[in-house]
Amino acid sequence: MLIFPAIDIISGECVRLTQGDYSKKQTYSKNPTKIAKKFEQDGASFLHIVDLDGAKIGSPRNLAQIQAILQNTNLSVQVGGGIRSFEDAKKLFDLGVDRIILGTSAVSDKSLLKKLLEKYCSQKIVVSIDARDEKVLVEGWLKNSGKTLFEFLDELKVLGVKTIIFTDIKSDGMMEGPNFSTIKQVIASDLNVIVAGGISSIKDLRKLKEIGAYGAIIGKALYEEMIDLSQAVKQFQVNKLAKRIIPCMDIKNGRVVKGTFFKDLKDAGDPVELGKKYSNLGADEIVFLDITATIERRKTLYELVKRIAANINIPFTVGGGIRSISDIRNLLNSGADKVSIGSAAVRNSELVQKAAKAFGSQCIVISVDAKKSGKSWNIFIDGGRTDTGIDAIQFAGTMERLGGGELLVNSLDRDGTKQGYDIELLKKIASSVSIPVIASSGAGKEKDFLEAFKKADVDAVLAASVFHYGQIEVPDLKKYLQANAITIRS
Amino acid sequence: MIQIIDYGAGNLQSIKNALEKLGAESEVISSPQELITDAKIIFAGVGAAGSAMANLRKSGFDKALTKLKNPFLGICLGMQLLFERSEEDAVECLGVLKGDVRRFPLGLTVPQIGWNKVKTNDSALFKSIPQESYFYFVNSYYARPSTNALIAETEYGITFCSAVQKENFYGVQFHPEKSGEIGQKILDNFIKLC
Repeated sequence: MLIFPAIDIISGECVRLTQGDYSKKQTYSKNPTKIAKKFEQDGASFLHIVDLDGAKIGSPRNLAQIQAILQNTNLSVQVGGGIRSFEDAKKLFDLGVDRIILGTSAVSDKSLLKKLLEKYCSQKIVVSIDARDEKVLVEGWLKNSGKTLFEFLDELKVLGVKTIIFTDIKSDGMMEGPNFSTIKQVIASDLNVIVAGGISSIKDLRKLKEIGAYGAIIGKALYEEMIDLSQAVKQFQVNKLAKRIIPCMDIKNGRVVKGTFFKDLKDAGDPVELGKKYSNLGADEIVFLDITATIERRKTLYELVKRIAANINIPFTVGGGIRSISDIRNLLNSGADKVSIGSAAVRNSELVQKAAKAFGSQCIVISVDAKKSGKSWNIFIDGGRTDTGIDAIQFAGTMERLGGGELLVNSLDRDGTKQGYDIELLKKIASSVSIPVIASSGAGKEKDFLEAFKKADVDAVLAASVFHYGQIEVPDLKKYLQANAITIRS
Repeated sequence: MIQIIDYGAGNLQSIKNALEKLGAESEVISSPQELITDAKIIFAGVGAAGSAMANLRKSGFDKALTKLKNPFLGICLGMQLLFERSEEDAVECLGVLKGDVRRFPLGLTVPQIGWNKVKTNDSALFKSIPQESYFYFVNSYYARPSTNALIAETEYGITFCSAVQKENFYGVQFHPEKSGEIGQKILDNFIKLC
């Protein structure tokens, strides 16, 4: 169940009303952005904003405050209040709002709702229904629309609305708990139902989740400290994929090799045998990089990929020398689950876009080779030999926008040193993108892996030699991480 | 015999490899005429619902599959296509199961890629599999059965259905062929118990 902390704005300030009555107003903060940031720190990923001035006047008003929140947080924001025209909606979407909420206008102006559903996907248009005694109210709860709740729900479904916010007016701001029996009936309508109004305890949230609510909007109860937001998110908006351990094999002439700074290569074994071994030991994924490919302009060995695929039953990524859509197709057809694109993503970023479109972002990993340069990091290509002068953090963002599904971040300063991951670099990248980040280069001891998860908040850790030479065994590492409160697949 | 249906939705080799490891005989078929009555059917796939349905209609599989009495396992997109319709490409699907397929909410990282926990009831498909085991998922959409076909669920921001069963039709949202030993066990259960 999605947890939406709520911010209601009047004259640029964060307020709460009781039962929608403008004369029963309480101001909580003069700075809504500060409140939004606090919500984000508490673990929220979503935010519900109501522009109460807008609602009263019939056109959005507090746009500057909304924009400031969008610019200063990574929250997924929905906004309602006085959106009565296509232009109002467009203005909000252009600011970067994820979802807009129609209330009064959804009842009074079907053609607007229709047009918005046509121009924007149904995910972006939410209809808010305020009801008292199963009658739909409009205009800030002042007017009875004459429609019954259930006939309105049917109308919305026919129009293609997927998500609604349901407020039972008796409950809002009364802290008496939601009206569960009506909510249950609304959920049975098969729409995605976000419940608002009167949610005042963790118990209320538990009950909402049990009856299948899609989301819950919490307002007053947060401001009055009746619900702890971080607990609510942790308990009800569970979104925890296991952190992944990824052994990586550099392959040259069909053998696994390992060296320092991509040089002084030593033989570390047969890729198929090693792949099988790691898969059996509980590795979550495997990466194979054909390091001869870029340097000697040689294509990855598709036959080897086929043999690997026949022997392991966990996902694996293949990289090295990928330059074209047909390279990618050949690797995927040979059995690779993902491909890792390095130099070519820098030289020809269009390839990333095309590849994501043709095969889906889920199989496009971008290999980011970064090296410290002054206070920032530059992107290197050609196996770490050419400085492109491109800023690594910026590059990461560009790759996400073009459709890269994951970032595999190598530090040329740390590669092969076993002095630990470049936490500073990883932290910067992981906090600037929303796609998964894989830490690479520098792992020497168990604690290095833990720090990458704890300090840089990466999604996966990759290492080579510590695994190949048996210094760290995958099962021991998993036990260690689990004992240190990292979510691990056991 | 296991028949794997090829309808142009991704690489089926990893499924074939997984079945081989279990010692099960399998073949990939690409037309409904090749269906045999005593085979078990695996209907896997990745990609978009729209083009997948178009391919199924072209080959005639759309009609043939819904009538099957054979044990049938849909995997990932193959499970989603069993439902009545999908929000992806706004397409009508096979309709073997009541309900629809929706996109994960905006604001979550989509696609979901990685290992996630599965809570199950006591379906034969999950026999001997510990509660809350991790399976490998790659999906942007999830199924919403409107009848009681749900046999497993998983959390990704919202709670979604990660496995279904109605009579001979089974479906899993995750990839058993990429889920290590525990995934192999699912396929083994399907072969032996379903």
